[in-house]
Amino acid sequence: MTEHTPRFLETPAVATPLPDILEERTPRPGLLGVIQRNLSVSIGLAGIAIILFIGICAPWLGTVDPLAINPALRTRPPSAEHFFGTDALGRDLWSRVLYGTRVSLTVGFSVAALATGIGVLLGVMAGYIRASEGVIMRAMDAVMSIPSILLAIALVALIRPSVSNVIFAITVAEIPRVARLVRSVVISLRELAWVEAGVVSGSKSTQIILRHILPNAAAPIIVQATYICASAMIIEATLSFIGAGTPASIPSWGNIMAEGRSLWQVKPLIVLIPAAFLSATVLAVNVVGDGLRDALDSRLVKDI
Amino acid sequence: MLKIVAKRVMTTVPVMFLVTLLVFSLLYLSPGDPAVLFAGDQATPEQIAQIRSRMGLDQPFHIQFGTWLWNLAHGDLGVSLVSNVPVTNLIAQRLEPTLSLTILTLLWSVSVAVPLAVLAAAKRGSAVDRIVMLLGVAGFSVPVFVFAYCSSYILAIELQWLPIQGYTPLSKGIWPWLRSLILPAFALGTGYVALISRIGRAALVEILQQDYIRTAKAKGANAQRVLFRHALKNAAVPMVTIVGLGVGLLIGGAVVTESVFAIPGIGRLTADAILRRDYPVIQGVVLLFSLSYMVINLVIDLIYPFFDPRIKY
Repeated sequence: MTEHTPRFLETPAVATPLPDILEERTPRPGLLGVIQRNLSVSIGLAGIAIILFIGICAPWLGTVDPLAINPALRTRPPSAEHFFGTDALGRDLWSRVLYGTRVSLTVGFSVAALATGIGVLLGVMAGYIRASEGVIMRAMDAVMSIPSILLAIALVALIRPSVSNVIFAITVAEIPRVARLVRSVVISLRELAWVEAGVVSGSKSTQIILRHILPNAAAPIIVQATYICASAMIIEATLSFIGAGTPASIPSWGNIMAEGRSLWQVKPLIVLIPAAFLSATVLAVNVVGDGLRDALDSRLVKDI
Repeated sequence: MLKIVAKRVMTTVPVMFLVTLLVFSLLYLSPGDPAVLFAGDQATPEQIAQIRSRMGLDQPFHIQFGTWLWNLAHGDLGVSLVSNVPVTNLIAQRLEPTLSLTILTLLWSVSVAVPLAVLAAAKRGSAVDRIVMLLGVAGFSVPVFVFAYCSSYILAIELQWLPIQGYTPLSKGIWPWLRSLILPAFALGTGYVALISRIGRAALVEILQQDYIRTAKAKGANAQRVLFRHALKNAAVPMVTIVGLGVGLLIGGAVVTESVFAIPGIGRLTADAILRRDYPVIQGVVLLFSLSYMVINLVIDLIYPFFDPRIKY
């Protein structure tokens, strides 16, 4: 090649491979891709992971028996032995708060799973089997007409306060939110071409629901489930706080705060520390929900 | 018009009936025999049986439910197991604090949340928008009683500007009444503000992308006119809807707020009734709250055409 050939004409015989930009920009499909691309979802998930770690590893994180009473060490300020100080009965607040993590997570995740499972079942029935629609949806309307905290309070007041009963009560109150959402999604999907194609080709109803409808309804259901998880944790804490939730023998953020109330004016930390843990956890879950909703932004998700 | 309103009201009747059935079943299924509780420790089995038949507890479910509904229609919600006072009287005595608290909260929340939503939507993506969105998530993640304690720690304990606890009735003057409600109303309203501003912002953002907004701008209407006359008016329906649905949040929050601030309202009555297993009171309060919630949302449904003439009933 001569010196005068403009550089752009120096085309090599074989095209150099293009830089990898295309490869990188191809978004990873599915939920993993959403997490990868969305900063707030990753931050929220990291927060949840930390809380999960704390909850699971509570016995090995410098804790003592959260129920051990020590009258000589009542309401001590934070120190090297008691990172968060002690409560009115001399129990170690650090241990109590760390063990309390387990209650919140158990309640949040169980309610999200149960309410979503039952809600999907009812919603699909109402959306797909027209005969059942009226009965199911009126029942859901009725349950929804009772503010969820109030319904949970009433249910727990009837049965003995325990963690499983709290889970049951909050689940009952949250089911209609899922059922309504799923029904509306199913109704809009039911009329679409590929579902009709399935019907025409002779697929069974269960097959159509499992193969064609539910996978397409997954995004809004997952987003709704994160919101339910967050709201279940708040309701659990509220129930425990007013004395209708987790029994005192199991430390939970709500009942630690309830017991700290009498000392509120002199030892605000006993209330503020569990409050901070609770708020941070709920915030992390909500941030994940919001991030997923924005990332999976479709017509179906927007209705939540 | 009247016929259509009547029709809309009629559609809520079955739901209301289901709610009463649900609430009645709560009491019916409650553990413990009310007759035993009522008779006291010294009663003989014969006396208990007598009380049971006098209270109608030996009747089948549907008869008991029918009687209960009939009494309910006559304003009789039964008698408290603890104080022996009719539940309706207990509720009536405690209506003022709760109404004051919820109405005040509603007023300040809406008057803060709507401007926030407008500001965030008009300057989408700006710092203001981000702050409003962040407050939206945070306000939703922090339980009412945490707001309650934090605000009372700063304003009542540290600065001593406001009373820590208690309620001053309106009859003692407007200022003392208002002073006793500032902290509770603030705590109760924060989550509500988050909810309304968030939904309001989302509605406005969507409306601002509509064709008629572009038309209005092209016509030469200035930004404020477009925002307030064209956009906000159309965002009114979703906003009003969420104000109504959010009342459920306020009701649940009132139970907690009244306990924290020792306000002798219906919320406090509920919390006390739960601790004492006073089922008739729990039942009455749940019914009252649910029915008011339904009525509020029904009224909101009915005033939609006022905001959006395209909606006709």
